[in-house]
Amino acid sequence: MIPNPLRDPRDRRLPRVPEPCALVVFGITGDLARKKLLPAVYDLANRGLLPTNFALLGFARRDWGDQDFAELARDAARNAARTPWREEVWERLAGSVRFVQGSFDDDNAFDELAAALGDLESSHGIGGNAAFYLSIPPAMFPVVLKQMERTGMAESTPDRWRRVVVEKPFGTDLASSRELNELVDSVFSAEDVFRIDHYLGKETVQNLMALRFANELFEPVWNGHHVDSVQITMAEDVGIGGRAGFYEKTGAARDVLQNHLLQLLALTAMEEPVEFSADEIRTEKLKVLRAVSLPEDMRRFAVRGQYEQGWLAGQRAKGYRQEEGVDGESLTETYAAVRLGVETRRWAGVPFYLRTGKRLPRRVTEIALVFKRAPHLPFADTDTEELGNNQLVVRVQPDEGVTLKFGSKVPGSVMEVRDVSMDFLYGEQFTETSPEAYERLLLDVLLGDATLFPRNAEVEASWAVIDPLEEFWAGTTPEPYRAGEWGPRAADDMLAAEGRRWRRP
Amino acid sequence: MTTLWDTTGSAVVKELAAQRRTGGAVLSGVALTLVVVADEARVAEAEEAAAGASEQHPCRILVVVRRQIDAPVPRLDAEVTIGGRLGPGEAVVMRMYGRLALHAESVVLPLLAADAPVVTWWHSDPPSRLTTDALAVIADRRITDSASAADQLAALRTRAQDYAPGDTDLAWTRATGWRATLTSALDSVHGRRGDAIRVLGGRIEGDPGAATAQLLAGWVESRAGARLEVVPSARHSGPSGIDSVVLQLDQDEEVRVHADRRGGAVISQPYRSDATMALPDRSLGDLLGEELRRLDPDEPYAEALEVTTGVGGLAGRASVRSHVWVDPAEPHGAAAPAAQVGDGSPHGEAPTVPADSEGADEVAEHGEHDVPDPTAPESRPEQPEESESGAVR
Repeated sequence: MIPNPLRDPRDRRLPRVPEPCALVVFGITGDLARKKLLPAVYDLANRGLLPTNFALLGFARRDWGDQDFAELARDAARNAARTPWREEVWERLAGSVRFVQGSFDDDNAFDELAAALGDLESSHGIGGNAAFYLSIPPAMFPVVLKQMERTGMAESTPDRWRRVVVEKPFGTDLASSRELNELVDSVFSAEDVFRIDHYLGKETVQNLMALRFANELFEPVWNGHHVDSVQITMAEDVGIGGRAGFYEKTGAARDVLQNHLLQLLALTAMEEPVEFSADEIRTEKLKVLRAVSLPEDMRRFAVRGQYEQGWLAGQRAKGYRQEEGVDGESLTETYAAVRLGVETRRWAGVPFYLRTGKRLPRRVTEIALVFKRAPHLPFADTDTEELGNNQLVVRVQPDEGVTLKFGSKVPGSVMEVRDVSMDFLYGEQFTETSPEAYERLLLDVLLGDATLFPRNAEVEASWAVIDPLEEFWAGTTPEPYRAGEWGPRAADDMLAAEGRRWRRP
Repeated sequence: MTTLWDTTGSAVVKELAAQRRTGGAVLSGVALTLVVVADEARVAEAEEAAAGASEQHPCRILVVVRRQIDAPVPRLDAEVTIGGRLGPGEAVVMRMYGRLALHAESVVLPLLAADAPVVTWWHSDPPSRLTTDALAVIADRRITDSASAADQLAALRTRAQDYAPGDTDLAWTRATGWRATLTSALDSVHGRRGDAIRVLGGRIEGDPGAATAQLLAGWVESRAGARLEVVPSARHSGPSGIDSVVLQLDQDEEVRVHADRRGGAVISQPYRSDATMALPDRSLGDLLGEELRRLDPDEPYAEALEVTTGVGGLAGRASVRSHVWVDPAEPHGAAAPAAQVGDGSPHGEAPTVPADSEGADEVAEHGEHDVPDPTAPESRPEQPEESESGAVR
């Protein structure tokens, strides 16, 4: 029997709307909450994607009334919302916004929070469903989780769901991530834990699966027979900003390589899932992550770097060691590049080059499949001198889209083949304002759809890749590179050793 | 922007190509072609909506304005723009005079984006049988707006009688917000109860003469099997003609949703305090944008239309139409003699296809085919089914 007769799977005009629920944000006054979460909540409301009964609860140390909080939330939402601002939408939302003040070790504050949640259950009809967003430093997790356990807030029952959203970093190595996973899983059940990797909320990343599994064109060449190598790049032009304290302890490998880059690798290399469901996709991703192999010659194939002062985009940039809050002798890397292998039948022998860095010439994230050269060229050698390898590039950001690079004849009376590129710009074909990653992910949490969230086993498998690297790097000095350069020389040598070179993104 | 006066289809094709070459980095990807059929009086409104929709779905916009069918000499004026008043993409506004207006497809066909879907939208009164307009025959999706007719319910009946999969109506699009809100409200009842819900009946307060209100009632009946009556409301209801909806559920419960006039809808349900959801009046461009999002047949619409009008068998109809030639100058729709075009006109003969197609393109080869249309299959005028009087219940 259909529970709601008006629901119709064929009726795709109707949006997916979550059940009545509350969103509880710990650390609501933080940067992430103000810049991403609150605007995302407004955008969801404005698009009519929030349930009829919805409440937003903020928890933070500051001494505020509901009014002050509503004011802050309004400004935050208004500043960063992507959809047009409509005062009446906000007013409606503001009517269901509550603020609870307290520190995380304060029992009374958590009792108050539990009571507030109970009140909302009857006054706003949220049906007991709630998602808790931990927008707080990982060091605070144990305290907050214990409190939630003590007050019984974390229990899912058949009548209601309770979910928790955790931001990266998920630990600092395999041991600590296990510990964290065990802690979270002891309070919430595994399927109620949502680990946010906001890269997976980006349209292009989801489009990667459409590209691979909905088309006949690409899958036949998506393997070691045709692919020479894969380059996955995430470059940032910014420095470390005000995050010196965090970054000094973390470094590029733990900050980006462990999560974003390995997730992109998993999506690129995974086999076709049996069906497009959270479980099946995560199973395939996990298989790839477990098959990742490290280079034997780490000295050559695992490079880390640190930026020195230089010029970037016409402005002078400080070196990493000169940044405020950074040790003058710091050995933390701001650049990491590594050659990984994927030991499966499909990918054996194909190197996966991953790199990430700060203060690189521009902000860009992309996945590039570099194809082998044609086994035979019936042209004179001079005709194809300028012909490179064919490439398929998935641009994750900015200018989300796909580029195909191939050889074409130069117009004229002689035969001359040169590389050209064919561009598909995501925003050009479908400008339908693609939702911000957080908006999409937040909606998925409320709907209980875990497709775009890595499972704890994936996180642990990723750490298993990173730990040996960190071990090898421990105590070594990162290779210097000038701010505004595409990384240290050693990274270029790493590819040159095998007769390849980095693609300039 | 370039305006071509008294021009030909091939010149328009060339001009579009020329502008694309000189335009530099303009939009190159086109997901579909949107053909807009508009009346001269409402062309500005149609252009604005099409431009709005094209911001959501980059498309090539072809606006066809048919003027003075009785003008003695056929003539084409065209305005070609890329990235301007008509949105980010390529757009051509064409004004057709004289007999050319009956052969608009001869100009439109070569302008369609290659192998991309075609959507035709009538921002004027659509023909009662879409198949008589060649611009409907070339389209994969056909959008009409019954709410703009003087007698909206009669217009709906006409659409039902003429329905083929791929047809849709903006009166239905206006119901989407209401449908989402009602569905969401029942979700929340289901969430509380945990077991299935049955809708036993209810009513819609609003304008009983509004196509959207009737379609909403038809939709609820097609989904839940319960009849909703549309009764007049005391307040003036907005463009959708819906002021509030009451659904009677089993277990003696009732859900009521009413528009709050400030872009929201208030949902009242048992055991819960009232909740408000966004339900704004949407612009024409926004409605059109929703239509362009999916181009496959809309089965829920077909079912709602079926129930609303009492015309059966909609979903089973063939989705392909073939052109039926109807000449407005001939009351019985008989083919006009070919010699008639431009005959006896003081302005001389109508332009004809040049014998030599060098430098021209496929439009020259198609040219203007004079009646009867050789590509049209044997026309077998279908008798519209006898509809019960007042089929809109």
